[in-house]
Amino acid sequence: MRRERAPRRRGSLRFLRPDVPADVDDELQFHIQMRIERNLALGMSLEDARRDAIERFGEVGTVRAQLVEHDERRQTTRRRAEYVADFVQDVKFGARALRRAPVFAVAAALTLALGIGANTAIFSIVNAVLLQPLPYTHPERLVTIGQGSLGEYQALRERLRTITELAAWVPATHPVDDGRQAIRLNGVAVTTNLMPLLGAAPMIGRGFAPEDGTYGSSPVMIISNSLWRREFGSASDIVGRKLLVDGAPYTIVGVMPPSFQYPANDVEYWLPYTISPANIGLMWGVGGKEFIGRLAPNATLEQARRELRTVWPSLRRLNPLWDPGATYRVDATVTPLKADLVGSARSLLLMLFGATLLVLLIACVNVANLLLARATARERELAVRATLGGGRGRLVRQLVTEGLLLAIVGAAAGIGLAVLAVHALIGIIPTGIPRSGAIAMNGMVLIFTLLVSLVTGVVFSAIPAIRATAGGSSVGTRSGRRATSGVSHTRIAGMLVAGEIALAVMLAVASLLLVRSFAALRSIAPGFEPMQVIAARISAPAGSYPPGSARLTGFYRDVLDRVQALPGVRDAALVDQLPLAAPMRGLAIRVQGQHEDVTQLLPSIQHVQSVSPDYFATLRIPLLHGRPFTNRDGADSPPVAIVSQSVAREFWPNGDAIGKRIGYPFDSPWITIVGIVPDTKQDSLRDTSRVAIYMPWSQTSSRVGSELWLVARSAGDPRATGADIRRIVHDIDRAVPVSDVRTMDAVVAESVVGSRFTAALVTAFALLALVLGAVGIYGVVSYLVSERTREVGIRIALGASAAGVVRLIVGRALRLAAAGTIAGVICAMAATRALRQWLYGVSPSDPLTFGAVAVVFLGIAAFASYAPARRATHVDPAVTLREE
Amino acid sequence: MPATHDPGDLLQGTLGILILKSLLLAPAHGYAISRWIEETTGDVLRIEEGSLYPALRRLEDRALVTSRWGRSENNRRARFYTITAAGRRHLRNDASTWLRYSQAVTRVLRADPAIP
Repeated sequence: MRRERAPRRRGSLRFLRPDVPADVDDELQFHIQMRIERNLALGMSLEDARRDAIERFGEVGTVRAQLVEHDERRQTTRRRAEYVADFVQDVKFGARALRRAPVFAVAAALTLALGIGANTAIFSIVNAVLLQPLPYTHPERLVTIGQGSLGEYQALRERLRTITELAAWVPATHPVDDGRQAIRLNGVAVTTNLMPLLGAAPMIGRGFAPEDGTYGSSPVMIISNSLWRREFGSASDIVGRKLLVDGAPYTIVGVMPPSFQYPANDVEYWLPYTISPANIGLMWGVGGKEFIGRLAPNATLEQARRELRTVWPSLRRLNPLWDPGATYRVDATVTPLKADLVGSARSLLLMLFGATLLVLLIACVNVANLLLARATARERELAVRATLGGGRGRLVRQLVTEGLLLAIVGAAAGIGLAVLAVHALIGIIPTGIPRSGAIAMNGMVLIFTLLVSLVTGVVFSAIPAIRATAGGSSVGTRSGRRATSGVSHTRIAGMLVAGEIALAVMLAVASLLLVRSFAALRSIAPGFEPMQVIAARISAPAGSYPPGSARLTGFYRDVLDRVQALPGVRDAALVDQLPLAAPMRGLAIRVQGQHEDVTQLLPSIQHVQSVSPDYFATLRIPLLHGRPFTNRDGADSPPVAIVSQSVAREFWPNGDAIGKRIGYPFDSPWITIVGIVPDTKQDSLRDTSRVAIYMPWSQTSSRVGSELWLVARSAGDPRATGADIRRIVHDIDRAVPVSDVRTMDAVVAESVVGSRFTAALVTAFALLALVLGAVGIYGVVSYLVSERTREVGIRIALGASAAGVVRLIVGRALRLAAAGTIAGVICAMAATRALRQWLYGVSPSDPLTFGAVAVVFLGIAAFASYAPARRATHVDPAVTLREE
Repeated sequence: MPATHDPGDLLQGTLGILILKSLLLAPAHGYAISRWIEETTGDVLRIEEGSLYPALRRLEDRALVTSRWGRSENNRRARFYTITAAGRRHLRNDASTWLRYSQAVTRVLRADPAIP
């Protein structure tokens, strides 16, 4: 095919490509011309000859158009076929070239595999968490509008015009008992319109009907697909079976499909929220219901926000219990459901993704450098090919094809690495990252990887390819070895390495800042002594152990007595909310003589715990003033409380808090403060709010629910005590599940697992970058040395010492590294500001961190260049000088 | 190969046969082909010469002929067509079909009663 085209091209030198219309004209004109000439020879007049020729020919214009169209179509298919043929040839040639240089090929492919693998792994998380649409009908129209009470829910539902339907839900995690065993399962209570609002329906059975949410209807529940499979063996006759939820019988009416995981993927059942408008205390006094709605078809998010900002504050006067204050809900806002769900994970994932992009960029630079060195070595081959008629474009294409081939091989290996990495990541991913159940290597991820590898392939091979083919081709053939290379190559390679170091410095700075933050977090004293303490959650079902009942207090006294009697146990206590395990419930309080009017805004205390007398002794929280709780502080004795130092200081700055009185935010007996303890960390180690009030559980058991934590300090292995606690509770009542048995050390460690995850991941990327950077320096300096053997030879011949030569070469590497480090530090100064939200106790421009990283990188540069520099000193001047 | 069912096909097929036949001896340009047909048929088959070229393209698409640019006898740039091996095979088949067909028609026309 090609051979056929060549002469034609030479025949019509006018064109680079065959000019189809011109060729058709040539052919037809030739025909008519020949006919005219023959007619003339036959004795016709010129005019007759011409007319006859045209007549014989027919519709010249039609034929011409037909031929042009035909030939042009044929031209494109032919070019396409040729292109494919060239590509196949390039691939074959590239594969052969790579096989001939296995060390280079393996090094390059491995480098790329690391870069692409890291990217693919993080992208698979980004894809699952951020990109995939929520599995609901028109998920982009779903919004959350915040939290509130059921009274507010009903008022908003009636008033909001920009939101067509509003639903509410609240966590309802309870012990669930199927008659054989009792487990604590995560559940939610939902208004009956929630599932229709989301566009979801059970795969078996029915959804909630509005009657299910009315007071006095028979209790029903819908269970998750995983619970159905796990606990019921996917039984087809599931509808109609009963479960004891919190001690009360519920009838299963439906099973949700596996894709339905609202509001979280660990929710195992849904209960209909029963609303009883007559109970004003429940309607307006208890908040914490999450509101979710669907935007009206013609409403925008902005309109909904505007409406909510006026409607919600106007409900202020509706509250029959108290006046929520002038600032009530003025900051209410509407958030798209996905943004709300993803929350802070978004910025974390984007940051990690950015880090992997840096790693990939470094890998690209490294491979570009390798290719550059190789292209220089192959200069002669390329020059020969150029002389033999391969155009420059053709050569660049050949080299880029080789690069793509490398990238594809690297991507294949990278996908393998990513599969392993994703597997490992799923194990350590903090629970704070939503939708993590959907993380998988799917088609979308593979398409991403393919695109990344194609782009990287072009990026890292284009520069060397253009560089390698730029030199005059004749020069290369004539003088072989180093002809055009030298300075220019070295400079490009140096720039690449400096850039690579700059990128690696950025990552290293980020990693060190995060590691230092994590260390700072871990070094925070929680205010209690977590060593040797075990914690266990005991979930007495409220149905059989109603809050405040003698049965409930009797049960827990029994458990506590038996645990305290265990041989290894020193102290044991009960507490309703364990520190550092989850955000705590708070309370608005009255303060005698200061805030007594319940219709006014009352001071709120973030942390209110109900504890048994030995709580402070068990956690080694010292008593600063007053007395601890004792067994005499019973349900019938005067109510008492212990407050944290901050509370005492805030309300009674004169140091006379003992004996003062506080109260619940409604008409109830005053509670006398009997003791003061130091501030402790409650919600998290970063927690700066220190206000906490402790009350004896014996006096509050009717308010705090039937589920308590037991904490026990043991002399021996606390985990053995944990097993004992399980056994004791099971012996007393097998229907009471024990869950989350963990040492307090583990609880503290888990509370910072998010920042450990971030620090560990970024550090892994930084180490990767460090290694790649070191390899880059080593490669370039080795190349530099081999290029300069002649110069080194001359220097040695002129009497330079080995140390001098080493100094010269290492010095050059250090200059490169210093340039890169300075650039990296400048970039990092700007970039680390974005890290601020993950930093603790360290400034984003912490000089110690920056200094340490700079020193490390200069050290690595010196180290990586020392070996090739030593090699240079073994140069025999006689040999090198003769070489040329 | 499509059977010659409708008269258009028949004519086109015929033109193809004539072209292929004309190329049997040597490569030729379009004008030479038309001249050859003209002379061989004694100008009985007056083909519109313009229709020759689309026919040539079709033959080329079916790889029955190939073309390349060359120099004509009076040293002008001309496109020469060459019959391929496939073209020869095709010619052989089509020619025998055509001959059988025309003999059959001839027999019919010669059969009794004679045409007055």
